[in-house]
Amino acid sequence: MMHVLGIETTCDETSAAVVRLEPDGTRAILSNRIRSQIEEHRPYGGVVPEIAARAHVEILDRMVRDAMAEAGLGFDALDGVAAAAGPGLIGGVLVGLTTAKAIALGIGKPLLAINHLEAHALTPRLTDDVQFPYLLLLVSGGHSQLVAVRDVGDYHRLGTTIDDAIGEAFDKVAKMLSLGFPGGPAVEVAARDGDPERFALPRPLFGKPEPDFSLSGLKTAVRLAAEAIQPLTEQDVADLCASFQAAVVDCVIDRTRVAIRAFRREIGQPSALVVAGGVGANRAIRHALQRSATEAGLRLVVPPPKLCTDNGAMIAWAGIERLRRGFSDALDAAARPRWPLDETRAKPGARA
Amino acid sequence: MRVLALDTALGATAVALLDTDANLILAEESQAMERGHSEALMPMVERVMAAAGVEFSAIDRFGVTIGPGSFTGLRIGIAAARGFALVHDRPAVGVSTLAAYAAPVLFGGERRPVAAAIDARNGMAFFQAMGVDGRTIAGPGLYRIEEAARKTGDGAISFVGNAADKLAAARRDGQVDFRFGAGTVSALPAPPIAWVARLASAANPATSPARPMYLREVNVTMGDRARLQRA
Repeated sequence: MMHVLGIETTCDETSAAVVRLEPDGTRAILSNRIRSQIEEHRPYGGVVPEIAARAHVEILDRMVRDAMAEAGLGFDALDGVAAAAGPGLIGGVLVGLTTAKAIALGIGKPLLAINHLEAHALTPRLTDDVQFPYLLLLVSGGHSQLVAVRDVGDYHRLGTTIDDAIGEAFDKVAKMLSLGFPGGPAVEVAARDGDPERFALPRPLFGKPEPDFSLSGLKTAVRLAAEAIQPLTEQDVADLCASFQAAVVDCVIDRTRVAIRAFRREIGQPSALVVAGGVGANRAIRHALQRSATEAGLRLVVPPPKLCTDNGAMIAWAGIERLRRGFSDALDAAARPRWPLDETRAKPGARA
Repeated sequence: MRVLALDTALGATAVALLDTDANLILAEESQAMERGHSEALMPMVERVMAAAGVEFSAIDRFGVTIGPGSFTGLRIGIAAARGFALVHDRPAVGVSTLAAYAAPVLFGGERRPVAAAIDARNGMAFFQAMGVDGRTIAGPGLYRIEEAARKTGDGAISFVGNAADKLAAARRDGQVDFRFGAGTVSALPAPPIAWVARLASAANPATSPARPMYLREVNVTMGDRARLQRA
Protein backbone atom coordinates (compact mmCIF):
# COMPACT_ATOMS: atom_id res chain seq x y z
CA MET A 1 0.00 0.00 0.00
CA MET A 2 1.41 3.36 -1.00
CA HIS A 3 0.05 6.84 -0.28
CA VAL A 4 1.44 9.98 -1.88
CA LEU A 5 0.40 13.60 -1.45
CA GLY A 6 0.52 15.62 -4.68
CA ILE A 7 0.74 19.40 -4.96
CA GLU A 8 0.20 21.39 -8.16
CA THR A 9 0.83 25.17 -8.45
CA THR A 10 2.46 25.65 -11.85
CA CYS A 11 -0.18 27.93 -13.35
CA ASP A 12 -3.56 29.20 -12.18
CA GLU A 13 -4.88 26.19 -10.30
CA THR A 14 -3.98 25.45 -6.70
CA SER A 15 -4.42 21.76 -6.01
CA ALA A 16 -3.63 19.15 -3.38
CA ALA A 17 -4.53 15.48 -3.66
CA VAL A 18 -3.87 12.09 -2.11
CA VAL A 19 -3.57 8.98 -4.28
CA ARG A 20 -3.30 5.39 -3.10
CA LEU A 21 -1.77 2.38 -4.85
CA GLU A 22 -2.75 -0.97 -3.40
CA PRO A 23 -0.54 -4.08 -3.59
CA ASP A 24 -2.82 -5.63 -6.23
CA GLY A 25 -2.34 -2.58 -8.45
CA THR A 26 -5.66 -0.91 -7.66
CA ARG A 27 -5.37 2.88 -7.71
CA ALA A 28 -7.64 5.25 -5.82
CA ILE A 29 -7.84 9.04 -5.76
CA LEU A 30 -8.67 9.62 -2.10
CA SER A 31 -8.96 13.38 -2.52
CA ASN A 32 -8.28 15.92 -5.26
CA ARG A 33 -8.92 19.50 -4.11
CA ILE A 34 -8.65 22.09 -6.85
CA ARG A 35 -9.16 25.83 -6.70
CA SER A 36 -9.10 27.74 -9.96
CA GLN A 37 -7.93 31.36 -9.97
CA ILE A 38 -9.87 32.24 -13.10
CA GLU A 39 -11.76 35.03 -11.34
CA GLU A 40 -8.55 36.73 -10.18
CA HIS A 41 -7.08 36.70 -13.69
CA ARG A 42 -10.20 37.41 -15.71
CA PRO A 43 -9.89 41.23 -15.61
CA TYR A 44 -6.51 40.92 -17.33
CA GLY A 45 -7.54 38.48 -20.04
CA GLY A 46 -4.78 36.05 -19.08
CA VAL A 47 -2.85 34.61 -16.18
CA VAL A 48 -0.79 37.23 -14.34
CA PRO A 49 2.17 35.40 -12.74
CA GLU A 50 2.47 37.54 -9.59
CA ILE A 51 -1.27 37.37 -8.92
CA ALA A 52 -1.08 33.59 -9.34
CA ALA A 53 1.81 33.23 -6.89
CA ARG A 54 0.07 35.41 -4.30
CA ALA A 55 -3.08 33.34 -4.50
CA HIS A 56 -1.21 30.02 -4.23
CA VAL A 57 0.63 30.91 -1.01
CA GLU A 58 -2.55 32.22 0.55
CA ILE A 59 -4.43 28.94 0.42
CA LEU A 60 -2.12 26.02 -0.26
CA ASP A 61 -1.53 24.89 3.34
CA ARG A 62 -5.25 24.82 4.09
CA MET A 63 -5.88 22.96 0.87
CA VAL A 64 -3.31 20.31 1.83
CA ARG A 65 -4.92 19.99 5.25
CA ASP A 66 -8.35 19.55 3.66
CA ALA A 67 -7.04 17.00 1.14
CA MET A 68 -5.49 14.96 3.96
CA ALA A 69 -8.69 15.16 6.00
CA GLU A 70 -10.82 14.09 3.04
CA ALA A 71 -8.45 11.16 2.47
CA GLY A 72 -8.82 10.31 6.15
CA LEU A 73 -5.06 10.16 6.65
CA GLY A 74 -2.57 11.64 9.05
CA PHE A 75 0.73 12.90 7.61
CA ASP A 76 2.48 9.86 9.10
CA ALA A 77 0.55 7.65 6.68
CA LEU A 78 2.23 9.23 3.64
CA ASP A 79 5.01 7.36 1.84
CA GLY A 80 6.13 10.41 -0.09
CA VAL A 81 5.33 14.02 -0.91
CA ALA A 82 5.19 15.08 -4.55
CA ALA A 83 5.04 18.56 -6.04
CA ALA A 84 5.21 19.87 -9.57
CA ALA A 85 8.69 21.44 -9.79
CA GLY A 86 8.09 22.83 -13.31
CA PRO A 87 7.71 23.71 -16.06
CA GLY A 88 5.50 26.64 -15.19
CA LEU A 89 5.27 30.08 -13.61
CA ILE A 90 8.23 30.08 -11.24
CA GLY A 91 6.63 32.07 -8.40
CA GLY A 92 3.82 29.59 -8.05
CA VAL A 93 6.03 26.54 -8.59
CA LEU A 94 8.23 27.69 -5.70
CA VAL A 95 5.24 27.90 -3.35
CA GLY A 96 4.16 24.33 -4.11
CA LEU A 97 7.64 22.83 -4.18
CA THR A 98 8.72 24.54 -0.94
CA THR A 99 5.55 23.46 0.85
CA ALA A 100 6.18 19.88 -0.29
CA LYS A 101 9.79 20.03 0.88
CA ALA A 102 8.72 21.27 4.31
CA ILE A 103 6.15 18.49 4.65
CA ALA A 104 8.62 15.85 3.43
CA LEU A 105 11.35 17.02 5.79
CA GLY A 106 8.86 17.43 8.61
CA ILE A 107 7.69 13.82 8.40
CA GLY A 108 10.99 12.33 7.24
CA LYS A 109 9.63 10.92 3.98
CA PRO A 110 10.95 11.24 0.42
CA LEU A 111 10.35 14.31 -1.73
CA LEU A 112 9.33 13.82 -5.35
CA ALA A 113 10.01 16.85 -7.54
CA ILE A 114 7.73 16.08 -10.47
CA ASN A 115 7.85 17.32 -14.05
CA HIS A 116 4.33 18.66 -14.64
CA LEU A 117 4.39 17.34 -18.22
CA GLU A 118 5.36 13.88 -16.98
CA ALA A 119 2.35 13.97 -14.66
CA HIS A 120 0.06 14.71 -17.62
CA ALA A 121 1.81 11.96 -19.58
CA LEU A 122 1.27 9.32 -16.87
CA THR A 123 -2.34 10.24 -16.00
CA PRO A 124 -3.88 7.63 -18.37
CA ARG A 125 -2.11 4.96 -16.31
CA LEU A 126 -3.90 6.25 -13.23
CA THR A 127 -7.32 6.39 -14.87
CA ASP A 128 -7.19 3.58 -17.46
CA ASP A 129 -4.13 1.48 -16.64
CA VAL A 130 -2.76 2.13 -20.12
CA GLN A 131 0.33 0.03 -20.85
CA PHE A 132 3.60 1.36 -22.28
CA PRO A 133 4.33 2.41 -24.92
CA TYR A 134 1.63 4.87 -25.97
CA LEU A 135 1.27 8.05 -27.96
CA LEU A 136 0.44 11.17 -25.96
CA LEU A 137 -1.07 14.31 -27.44
CA LEU A 138 -0.53 16.96 -24.76
CA VAL A 139 -2.49 20.09 -25.61
CA SER A 140 -3.01 22.92 -23.14
CA GLY A 141 -2.56 26.65 -22.69
CA GLY A 142 1.16 26.18 -22.27
CA HIS A 143 1.98 23.05 -24.24
CA SER A 144 1.31 21.33 -27.56
CA GLN A 145 3.33 18.17 -27.95
CA LEU A 146 3.18 14.69 -29.38
CA VAL A 147 5.18 12.35 -27.20
CA ALA A 148 6.01 8.64 -27.30
CA VAL A 149 5.69 7.49 -23.68
CA ARG A 150 7.89 4.39 -23.43
CA ASP A 151 8.29 4.09 -19.67
CA VAL A 152 8.41 6.24 -16.56
CA GLY A 153 11.15 8.76 -17.25
CA ASP A 154 11.54 7.58 -20.85
CA TYR A 155 9.83 10.02 -23.19
CA HIS A 156 10.52 10.63 -26.83
CA ARG A 157 9.11 13.86 -28.13
CA LEU A 158 7.98 13.35 -31.69
CA GLY A 159 6.74 16.89 -32.24
CA THR A 160 6.05 20.17 -30.52
CA THR A 161 4.82 23.64 -31.32
CA ILE A 162 7.34 25.94 -32.90
CA ASP A 163 5.51 29.04 -31.65
CA ASP A 164 2.22 29.29 -29.72
CA ALA A 165 0.55 26.46 -27.81
CA ILE A 166 -2.92 25.49 -29.06
CA GLY A 167 -4.66 26.65 -25.89
CA GLU A 168 -2.71 29.88 -26.07
CA ALA A 169 -3.97 30.45 -29.64
CA PHE A 170 -7.55 29.89 -28.45
CA ASP A 171 -6.96 32.43 -25.66
CA LYS A 172 -5.50 35.00 -28.05
CA VAL A 173 -8.33 34.65 -30.56
CA ALA A 174 -10.85 34.98 -27.73
CA LYS A 175 -9.06 38.09 -26.52
CA MET A 176 -9.01 39.82 -29.91
CA LEU A 177 -12.71 39.07 -30.30
CA SER A 178 -13.49 40.20 -26.73
CA LEU A 179 -14.91 36.79 -25.82
CA GLY A 180 -13.47 36.70 -22.32
CA PHE A 181 -11.11 34.44 -20.41
CA PRO A 182 -10.40 31.56 -20.48
CA GLY A 183 -10.66 31.64 -24.23
CA GLY A 184 -10.92 27.96 -25.15
CA PRO A 185 -14.47 27.34 -23.92
CA ALA A 186 -15.57 30.80 -25.13
CA VAL A 187 -14.35 30.18 -28.67
CA GLU A 188 -15.92 26.71 -28.69
CA VAL A 189 -19.30 28.10 -27.64
CA ALA A 190 -19.16 30.93 -30.19
CA ALA A 191 -18.14 28.47 -32.92
CA ARG A 192 -21.31 26.42 -32.51
CA ASP A 193 -23.40 28.97 -34.39
CA GLY A 194 -20.73 29.76 -36.95
CA ASP A 195 -19.90 28.76 -40.51
CA PRO A 196 -16.52 26.96 -40.47
CA GLU A 197 -16.10 27.51 -44.22
CA ARG A 198 -16.72 31.24 -44.43
CA PHE A 199 -13.07 32.18 -43.91
CA ALA A 200 -10.33 30.34 -45.74
CA LEU A 201 -7.73 30.14 -42.99
CA PRO A 202 -4.32 28.46 -43.34
CA ARG A 203 -3.47 25.03 -41.88
CA PRO A 204 0.18 25.64 -40.89
CA LEU A 205 2.57 22.68 -41.39
CA PHE A 206 -0.27 20.53 -42.81
CA GLY A 207 1.27 17.53 -44.60
CA LYS A 208 4.80 18.19 -43.33
CA PRO A 209 6.73 15.02 -42.40
CA GLU A 210 7.64 16.16 -38.84
CA PRO A 211 4.65 16.17 -36.45
CA ASP A 212 5.22 19.72 -35.18
CA PHE A 213 2.62 22.42 -34.64
CA SER A 214 2.54 26.09 -35.57
CA LEU A 215 -0.30 28.34 -34.51
CA SER A 216 1.08 31.83 -34.84
CA GLY A 217 0.29 32.26 -38.54
CA LEU A 218 -3.23 30.94 -38.09
CA LYS A 219 -3.85 33.38 -35.27
CA THR A 220 -2.59 36.25 -37.46
CA ALA A 221 -4.82 35.09 -40.31
CA VAL A 222 -7.83 35.29 -37.99
CA ARG A 223 -6.83 38.83 -37.09
CA LEU A 224 -6.43 39.89 -40.71
CA ALA A 225 -9.73 38.31 -41.74
CA ALA A 226 -11.46 40.08 -38.84
CA GLU A 227 -9.82 43.44 -39.51
CA ALA A 228 -10.96 43.31 -43.10
CA ILE A 229 -14.63 43.14 -42.10
CA GLN A 230 -14.79 45.03 -38.79
CA PRO A 231 -16.88 46.23 -37.04
CA LEU A 232 -17.83 42.63 -36.29
CA THR A 233 -21.37 41.35 -35.86
CA GLU A 234 -22.20 38.38 -33.62
CA GLN A 235 -22.41 36.23 -36.75
CA ASP A 236 -18.99 37.43 -37.93
CA VAL A 237 -17.51 36.44 -34.56
CA ALA A 238 -19.23 33.04 -34.68
CA ASP A 239 -17.98 32.42 -38.22
CA LEU A 240 -14.43 33.48 -37.31
CA CYS A 241 -14.45 31.15 -34.30
CA ALA A 242 -15.88 28.25 -36.30
CA SER A 243 -13.36 28.76 -39.10
CA PHE A 244 -10.50 29.02 -36.63
CA GLN A 245 -11.56 25.92 -34.72
CA ALA A 246 -11.97 23.94 -37.94
CA ALA A 247 -8.43 24.88 -38.95
CA VAL A 248 -7.08 23.81 -35.55
CA VAL A 249 -8.95 20.50 -35.77
CA ASP A 250 -7.50 19.83 -39.24
CA CYS A 251 -3.99 20.57 -37.97
CA VAL A 252 -4.36 18.40 -34.85
CA ILE A 253 -5.67 15.47 -36.89
CA ASP A 254 -2.98 15.76 -39.54
CA ARG A 255 -0.14 16.20 -37.04
CA THR A 256 -1.40 13.27 -34.94
CA ARG A 257 -1.64 11.07 -38.02
CA VAL A 258 1.97 11.90 -38.87
CA ALA A 259 2.99 11.19 -35.26
CA ILE A 260 1.29 7.77 -35.29
CA ARG A 261 3.27 6.90 -38.43
CA ALA A 262 6.50 8.14 -36.83
CA PHE A 263 5.73 6.14 -33.67
CA ARG A 264 5.23 2.92 -35.63
CA ARG A 265 8.38 3.54 -37.63
CA GLU A 266 10.65 4.51 -34.73
CA ILE A 267 9.22 2.78 -31.66
CA GLY A 268 6.68 0.14 -32.57
CA GLN A 269 3.00 -0.32 -31.96
CA PRO A 270 1.41 2.14 -29.50
CA SER A 271 -1.11 0.65 -27.06
CA ALA A 272 -3.28 3.75 -27.23
CA LEU A 273 -3.64 7.36 -28.33
CA VAL A 274 -3.91 9.42 -25.16
CA VAL A 275 -5.03 13.03 -24.92
CA ALA A 276 -4.11 15.22 -21.94
CA GLY A 277 -4.32 18.92 -21.21
CA GLY A 278 -7.18 21.39 -21.10
CA VAL A 279 -7.64 21.53 -24.87
CA GLY A 280 -8.73 17.89 -24.65
CA ALA A 281 -12.00 19.24 -23.27
CA ASN A 282 -12.83 20.78 -26.69
CA ARG A 283 -15.51 18.57 -28.20
CA ALA A 284 -14.71 19.25 -31.83
CA ILE A 285 -11.10 18.24 -31.25
CA ARG A 286 -12.07 15.18 -29.21
CA HIS A 287 -14.54 13.93 -31.81
CA ALA A 288 -12.00 14.37 -34.58
CA LEU A 289 -9.37 12.51 -32.56
CA GLN A 290 -11.81 9.66 -31.98
CA ARG A 291 -12.15 9.34 -35.75
CA SER A 292 -8.40 9.33 -36.34
CA ALA A 293 -7.82 6.82 -33.54
CA THR A 294 -10.42 4.52 -35.05
CA GLU A 295 -8.87 4.89 -38.50
CA ALA A 296 -5.47 3.98 -37.07
CA GLY A 297 -6.89 1.05 -35.12
CA LEU A 298 -5.95 2.63 -31.81
CA ARG A 299 -7.80 2.94 -28.55
CA LEU A 300 -8.42 6.60 -27.65
CA VAL A 301 -8.02 7.44 -23.97
CA VAL A 302 -9.13 10.85 -22.72
CA PRO A 303 -9.03 11.17 -18.93
CA PRO A 304 -12.05 12.93 -17.40
CA PRO A 305 -11.84 16.76 -17.63
CA LYS A 306 -10.87 17.18 -13.97
CA LEU A 307 -7.81 14.99 -14.58
CA CYS A 308 -7.07 16.49 -18.01
CA THR A 309 -6.57 19.98 -16.69
CA ASP A 310 -4.04 20.77 -13.96
CA ASN A 311 -4.63 18.84 -10.74
CA GLY A 312 -2.82 17.41 -7.75
CA ALA A 313 -3.88 13.81 -8.31
CA MET A 314 -1.76 13.53 -11.45
CA ILE A 315 1.23 14.87 -9.49
CA ALA A 316 0.62 12.35 -6.70
CA TRP A 317 0.30 9.56 -9.25
CA ALA A 318 3.53 10.54 -11.01
CA GLY A 319 5.07 10.52 -7.51
CA ILE A 320 3.86 6.96 -6.97
CA GLU A 321 5.17 5.86 -10.36
CA ARG A 322 8.59 7.29 -9.54
CA LEU A 323 8.69 6.24 -5.90
CA ARG A 324 7.92 2.59 -6.65
CA ARG A 325 10.81 2.56 -9.10
CA GLY A 326 13.09 3.82 -6.34
CA PHE A 327 13.37 7.44 -7.52
CA SER A 328 13.22 10.39 -5.16
CA ASP A 329 14.69 13.89 -5.01
CA ALA A 330 16.97 15.79 -2.63
CA LEU A 331 15.69 18.71 -0.57
CA ASP A 332 17.74 21.15 -2.64
CA ALA A 333 15.75 20.26 -5.77
CA ALA A 334 15.31 23.36 -7.92
CA ALA A 335 12.12 24.74 -9.40
CA ARG A 336 12.41 24.84 -13.19
CA PRO A 337 10.46 27.37 -15.29
CA ARG A 338 11.41 25.31 -18.36
CA TRP A 339 11.76 21.58 -18.21
CA PRO A 340 11.31 19.64 -21.44
CA LEU A 341 10.06 16.07 -21.07
CA ASP A 342 12.56 14.86 -23.57
CA GLU A 343 15.72 16.81 -22.78
CA THR A 344 17.69 15.20 -25.56
CA ARG A 345 15.42 16.77 -28.15
CA ALA A 346 14.96 20.13 -26.47
CA LYS A 347 15.77 22.76 -29.05
CA PRO A 348 17.36 26.01 -27.97
CA GLY A 349 14.58 28.47 -27.29
CA ALA A 350 11.92 25.78 -27.55
CA ARG A 351 9.04 25.99 -25.14
CA ALA A 352 9.02 23.23 -22.61
CA MET B 1 9.54 27.53 24.04
CA ARG B 2 11.55 26.36 21.05
CA VAL B 3 11.23 28.51 17.93
CA LEU B 4 12.56 27.62 14.49
CA ALA B 5 13.04 30.85 12.53
CA LEU B 6 13.43 31.13 8.76
CA ASP B 7 14.36 34.04 6.54
CA THR B 8 14.57 34.09 2.75
CA ALA B 9 12.98 37.49 2.18
CA LEU B 10 16.10 39.46 1.25
CA GLY B 11 19.81 38.95 0.57
CA ALA B 12 20.36 35.82 2.65
CA THR B 13 19.01 32.42 3.52
CA ALA B 14 19.04 32.06 7.31
CA VAL B 15 17.76 29.61 9.91
CA ALA B 16 17.93 29.78 13.70
CA LEU B 17 16.64 27.65 16.52
CA LEU B 18 15.87 29.58 19.71
CA ASP B 19 15.19 28.14 23.15
CA THR B 20 13.43 30.89 25.10
CA ASP B 21 13.61 29.08 28.45
CA ALA B 22 17.39 29.02 28.26
CA ASN B 23 17.37 32.34 26.38
CA LEU B 24 19.76 30.71 23.97
CA ILE B 25 20.14 30.32 20.23
CA LEU B 26 20.76 26.57 20.04
CA ALA B 27 22.02 26.74 16.45
CA GLU B 28 21.92 29.17 13.56
CA GLU B 29 23.24 29.58 10.06
CA SER B 30 23.11 32.41 7.57
CA GLN B 31 24.39 32.57 4.01
CA ALA B 32 24.32 35.77 2.00
CA MET B 33 22.83 35.17 -1.45
CA GLU B 34 20.93 37.05 -4.11
CA ARG B 35 19.32 33.93 -5.55
CA GLY B 36 19.10 30.24 -4.75
CA HIS B 37 17.15 30.64 -1.49
CA SER B 38 14.77 27.89 -2.50
CA GLU B 39 17.53 25.34 -3.01
CA ALA B 40 19.48 26.44 0.11
CA LEU B 41 16.72 26.61 2.70
CA MET B 42 15.78 23.01 3.47
CA PRO B 43 19.32 21.59 3.68
CA MET B 44 20.11 24.50 6.03
CA VAL B 45 17.11 23.64 8.21
CA GLU B 46 18.36 20.05 8.36
CA ARG B 47 21.84 21.19 9.40
CA VAL B 48 20.55 23.57 12.07
CA MET B 49 18.24 20.94 13.54
CA ALA B 50 21.07 18.41 13.55
CA ALA B 51 23.51 20.86 15.13
CA ALA B 52 20.99 21.62 17.88
CA GLY B 53 20.10 17.95 18.25
CA VAL B 54 16.40 18.79 18.21
CA GLU B 55 13.57 16.86 16.55
CA PHE B 56 10.75 18.60 14.66
CA SER B 57 8.28 17.29 17.20
CA ALA B 58 10.07 19.38 19.87
CA ILE B 59 9.53 22.68 18.03
CA ASP B 60 6.75 24.78 19.57
CA ARG B 61 6.54 27.51 16.98
CA PHE B 62 7.76 28.39 13.49
CA GLY B 63 8.73 32.00 12.80
CA VAL B 64 9.32 33.51 9.39
CA THR B 65 10.01 36.89 7.83
CA ILE B 66 6.94 38.01 5.90
CA GLY B 67 8.41 41.05 4.17
CA PRO B 68 8.67 43.62 2.93
CA GLY B 69 11.21 42.02 0.64
CA SER B 70 11.50 40.04 -2.55
CA PHE B 71 8.01 38.75 -3.35
CA THR B 72 9.35 35.39 -4.44
CA GLY B 73 11.81 35.18 -1.54
CA LEU B 74 9.31 35.88 1.20
CA ARG B 75 6.90 33.34 -0.26
CA ILE B 76 9.60 30.66 -0.06
CA GLY B 77 10.07 31.20 3.67
CA ILE B 78 6.35 31.49 4.31
CA ALA B 79 5.51 28.33 2.34
CA ALA B 80 8.18 26.47 4.31
CA ALA B 81 7.05 27.75 7.71
CA ARG B 82 3.41 27.01 6.95
CA GLY B 83 4.31 23.55 5.66
CA PHE B 84 6.20 22.73 8.88
CA ALA B 85 3.39 24.21 10.98
CA LEU B 86 0.78 22.16 9.15
CA VAL B 87 2.57 18.86 9.63
CA HIS B 88 3.34 19.39 13.31
CA ASP B 89 0.18 21.27 14.22
CA ARG B 90 2.08 24.23 15.66
CA PRO B 91 1.62 27.91 14.89
CA ALA B 92 3.55 29.71 12.15
CA VAL B 93 4.03 33.37 13.03
CA GLY B 94 5.13 36.21 10.79
CA VAL B 95 7.84 38.75 11.58
CA SER B 96 8.31 41.98 9.66
CA THR B 97 11.75 42.34 8.07
CA LEU B 98 11.72 46.03 9.06
CA ALA B 99 11.03 45.14 12.70
CA ALA B 100 13.71 42.43 12.69
CA TYR B 101 16.25 44.93 11.31
CA ALA B 102 15.28 47.44 14.00
CA ALA B 103 15.16 45.04 16.95
CA PRO B 104 18.88 44.94 17.82
CA VAL B 105 18.83 48.74 18.19
CA LEU B 106 15.51 48.95 20.02
CA PHE B 107 16.51 46.25 22.48
CA GLY B 108 20.20 47.21 22.58
CA GLY B 109 22.10 49.19 25.19
CA GLU B 110 22.12 52.50 23.37
CA ARG B 111 18.53 53.62 23.13
CA ARG B 112 17.75 55.72 20.12
CA PRO B 113 15.07 55.85 17.44
CA VAL B 114 15.47 53.62 14.39
CA ALA B 115 14.77 54.16 10.72
CA ALA B 116 14.59 50.92 8.76
CA ALA B 117 14.77 50.99 4.98
CA ILE B 118 14.70 48.12 2.50
CA ASP B 119 15.61 48.74 -1.11
CA ALA B 120 12.57 48.70 -3.40
CA ARG B 121 14.48 49.85 -6.52
CA ASN B 122 13.91 52.94 -8.70
CA GLY B 123 14.67 55.32 -5.83
CA MET B 124 12.04 53.72 -3.62
CA ALA B 125 12.31 52.03 -0.24
CA PHE B 126 10.11 50.07 2.10
CA PHE B 127 10.42 52.20 5.20
CA GLN B 128 9.43 52.31 8.84
CA ALA B 129 10.62 54.58 11.67
CA MET B 130 10.29 53.65 15.31
CA GLY B 131 10.80 55.60 18.53
CA VAL B 132 12.88 54.40 21.49
CA ASP B 133 9.80 52.79 23.00
CA GLY B 134 9.40 50.73 19.82
CA ARG B 135 6.29 52.60 18.72
CA THR B 136 5.98 53.29 15.01
CA ILE B 137 6.55 56.93 14.05
CA ALA B 138 6.18 56.51 10.30
CA GLY B 139 5.29 53.69 7.92
CA PRO B 140 5.53 50.86 7.30
CA GLY B 141 5.09 51.64 3.63
CA LEU B 142 6.63 52.21 0.25
CA TYR B 143 8.22 55.65 -0.08
CA ARG B 144 10.58 57.60 -2.27
CA ILE B 145 13.93 57.53 -0.42
CA GLU B 146 13.96 61.35 -0.04
CA GLU B 147 10.46 61.33 1.37
CA ALA B 148 11.41 58.59 3.84
CA ALA B 149 14.51 60.56 4.84
CA ARG B 150 12.38 63.64 5.60
CA LYS B 151 10.27 61.53 7.93
CA THR B 152 13.31 60.66 10.04
CA GLY B 153 13.42 64.12 11.60
CA ASP B 154 16.73 65.69 12.60
CA GLY B 155 17.64 63.96 15.84
CA ALA B 156 20.12 61.18 16.45
CA ILE B 157 18.82 58.06 14.82
CA SER B 158 20.07 54.64 13.77
CA PHE B 159 19.63 53.63 10.16
CA VAL B 160 19.16 49.95 9.52
CA GLY B 161 18.09 47.80 6.61
CA ASN B 162 19.74 46.96 3.30
CA ALA B 163 19.03 50.54 2.14
CA ALA B 164 20.23 52.14 5.39
CA ASP B 165 23.13 53.85 3.66
CA LYS B 166 20.90 55.26 0.91
CA LEU B 167 18.46 56.56 3.50
CA ALA B 168 21.25 58.14 5.56
CA ALA B 169 22.74 59.72 2.45
CA ALA B 170 19.36 61.11 1.40
CA ARG B 171 18.97 62.68 4.83
CA ARG B 172 22.34 64.41 4.55
CA ASP B 173 21.57 65.64 1.03
CA GLY B 174 18.31 67.14 2.16
CA GLN B 175 17.58 70.24 4.14
CA VAL B 176 17.53 68.45 7.48
CA ASP B 177 19.63 70.05 10.21
CA PHE B 178 22.18 67.44 11.13
CA ARG B 179 23.72 69.13 14.17
CA PHE B 180 22.03 66.93 16.71
CA GLY B 181 24.03 63.84 15.87
CA ALA B 182 24.35 61.56 12.93
CA GLY B 183 23.42 58.24 14.40
CA THR B 184 24.66 54.94 13.11
CA VAL B 185 24.29 53.20 9.78
CA SER B 186 24.09 49.43 9.47
CA ALA B 187 23.23 48.08 6.02
CA LEU B 188 23.09 44.30 6.45
CA PRO B 189 21.90 42.24 3.46
CA ALA B 190 19.25 40.58 5.63
CA PRO B 191 17.87 41.02 9.16
CA PRO B 192 19.69 39.18 11.99
CA ILE B 193 18.08 35.74 12.13
CA ALA B 194 18.41 35.49 15.93
CA TRP B 195 16.16 38.54 16.18
CA VAL B 196 13.66 37.05 13.79
CA ALA B 197 13.48 34.12 16.20
CA ARG B 198 13.13 36.36 19.29
CA LEU B 199 10.41 38.52 17.74
CA ALA B 200 8.61 35.36 16.63
CA SER B 201 8.70 34.02 20.19
CA ALA B 202 7.16 37.25 21.47
CA ALA B 203 4.49 37.58 18.78
CA ASN B 204 0.87 36.61 19.24
CA PRO B 205 0.11 33.89 16.67
CA ALA B 206 -3.50 35.09 16.41
CA THR B 207 -2.49 38.58 15.30
CA SER B 208 0.81 37.81 13.55
CA PRO B 209 0.00 35.16 10.95
CA ALA B 210 2.65 33.98 8.50
CA ARG B 211 1.11 35.91 5.60
CA PRO B 212 3.06 37.98 3.10
CA MET B 213 3.42 41.72 3.71
CA TYR B 214 4.05 42.92 0.17
CA LEU B 215 3.43 46.68 0.66
CA ARG B 216 3.22 46.92 -3.11
CA GLU B 217 0.36 46.10 -5.44
CA VAL B 218 0.80 43.85 -8.44
CA ASN B 219 1.73 45.97 -11.42
CA VAL B 220 -0.11 44.67 -14.48
CA THR B 221 0.29 46.24 -17.88
CA MET B 222 -2.67 45.45 -20.09
CA GLY B 223 -1.94 44.75 -23.73
CA ASP B 224 -5.21 45.84 -25.29
CA ARG B 225 -3.86 46.44 -28.78
CA ALA B 226 -5.32 43.10 -29.72
CA ARG B 227 -9.02 43.85 -29.56
CA LEU B 228 -11.08 44.33 -32.66
CA GLN B 229 -14.07 46.59 -33.08
CA ARG B 230 -17.43 45.03 -32.46
CA ALA B 231 -20.57 46.17 -34.25
